[in-house]
Amino acid sequence: MSASGDSESESADQPRPQHPGDDHATFSALLEDSAEDLYEHAPCGYLSTLLDGTIAKINTTLLDWLGYDHGDLVGRRTFSDLLTVGGRLYHETHFGPLLRMQGEVSGIALELKALDGTRLPVLVTSTVKTGGDGRPLLIRTTVFDARDRRAYETELLRARKEAELEREELKRLNATLQQTLLPPTLVNVPGLDVAAHYHVASTDMVGGDFYDLFPLSAGTWGLFLGDVCGKGAAAAAVTSLARYTLRAAAVYDPDPAAVLGNLNTVLHHEYNGHDPRFCTVVFGLLTPEGDRGGFRITLASGGHPPALLLRADGSADHVHTPGGQLIGVLSDAHIATATVHLAAGDTLLLHTDGLTEAHPDGTRGGGRYGDEALLDFVRALAPTTASDTVAAIRDLLDTFGTGVDDDTAVLAINVPRPTSEEQP
Amino acid sequence: MTQLAIRTRTTPAGPVVELTGELDYDSSAQVRALFPELVLRDGSQLVVDLTGVTFCDSSGITALLAARNHALAARAGISLVAVPDHISRIFQMVGLDQVFTTHPTAQAAEAAWTPPKTRP
Repeated sequence: MSASGDSESESADQPRPQHPGDDHATFSALLEDSAEDLYEHAPCGYLSTLLDGTIAKINTTLLDWLGYDHGDLVGRRTFSDLLTVGGRLYHETHFGPLLRMQGEVSGIALELKALDGTRLPVLVTSTVKTGGDGRPLLIRTTVFDARDRRAYETELLRARKEAELEREELKRLNATLQQTLLPPTLVNVPGLDVAAHYHVASTDMVGGDFYDLFPLSAGTWGLFLGDVCGKGAAAAAVTSLARYTLRAAAVYDPDPAAVLGNLNTVLHHEYNGHDPRFCTVVFGLLTPEGDRGGFRITLASGGHPPALLLRADGSADHVHTPGGQLIGVLSDAHIATATVHLAAGDTLLLHTDGLTEAHPDGTRGGGRYGDEALLDFVRALAPTTASDTVAAIRDLLDTFGTGVDDDTAVLAINVPRPTSEEQP
Repeated sequence: MTQLAIRTRTTPAGPVVELTGELDYDSSAQVRALFPELVLRDGSQLVVDLTGVTFCDSSGITALLAARNHALAARAGISLVAVPDHISRIFQMVGLDQVFTTHPTAQAAEAAWTPPKTRP
């Protein structure tokens, strides 16, 4: 501990002087005594340079930091010589010109090179001292030790880089997981035009929408589209379970109501408690109609928004499946079914509610798109094809932009018109 | 982040939870966190008042189903009151109109409740 430090602690223990005159004398003695000392041993570095940068005066604090003696620098070296190569470049191109223009530059981060080669991160402030006639005489510079600050910044940068890497990794995992929940490509069904689209609302969270189309025995085909409540890994686990259960159940008994009944039993057993998990789903069994042409499709719905049927004559309507209940909530969910005939030129569209619950104006505060708006939208499309329907829905989702806050899946099937009809 | 206000009060029949705002993915978590804290006696009735709910999605429905599971586990009943039209439509679509007992007002729900018979 220094002598002045000792005397300070002693005086703190003693009663304070009662006479104002004594007080004043003590202070002025301290001040007069320390003017030079303050310069030399200030808690920051002081440096005066000539206009060409030659060091004219430098305080002990800065000399101690750098490990130089007074004689090493004064009149011999420039401020620029104390900088690292990068710092020197910055000093020449930015610091110097700014200082000449403004007469002052403050808080610039630079690195000084000490005699032993170590680097000292500092914050530098310089002002130009002018004479009575306004001509610049010399440059005064203060140098603050920024080692703590630099260490903190380095730590922040490192943490940020790490977080960015982890975020990338998470996005990659999410995308991979999402892909495993969807068929890589839809199978080719003879006599049917098929298209699907999955819209990802957030790359940070896996959504719970799913769909598939696959062959069953005896020339029939199964298809499904659904939505597991919630988002993230827990929802993805349910999606995976739902998808494989549906495929297996359809092989066992392709009756659509039975398929959903099986899925209901599985989900209800698995998730019945404080963390209920359920899904809404439409399952369809497609059967070619032979001589009549087209397909018969029996749809079973477990609480899912109704499918839309876009007829060849330009009309469009919901295929209602009223009373079908959420899958996984009740031990004996009611499943509603409906059967429709798809003739040449007819298109059936299945969708999840991410589409109808989107905010059309792109903001979360605005209203929702809604079932009626979607019906009007597809009425304007009919008659159409599967790929045109899905393309139109994609464009619609694009216009909503960030207003789509949940994932959206769409699946369309269409019985193409015979080529002769298109060109009469 | 969506806004949802939750108010709870206690009646002789059991707790009443009043929800106001949007019941969606962001807000339903706080609703679900609330139910396990409610004290439900055997034979009491949990009332969820939906008067002020302006939106309800699948996460909101999950929260209501979690409330139902919680009530059933405590051998209590659950009633939804003042279900807005837009939620009624969703309930019909997903078949939950068959699952939840509904009443026009909290008073009606309380009046419909019968206290459990005290066992000898």
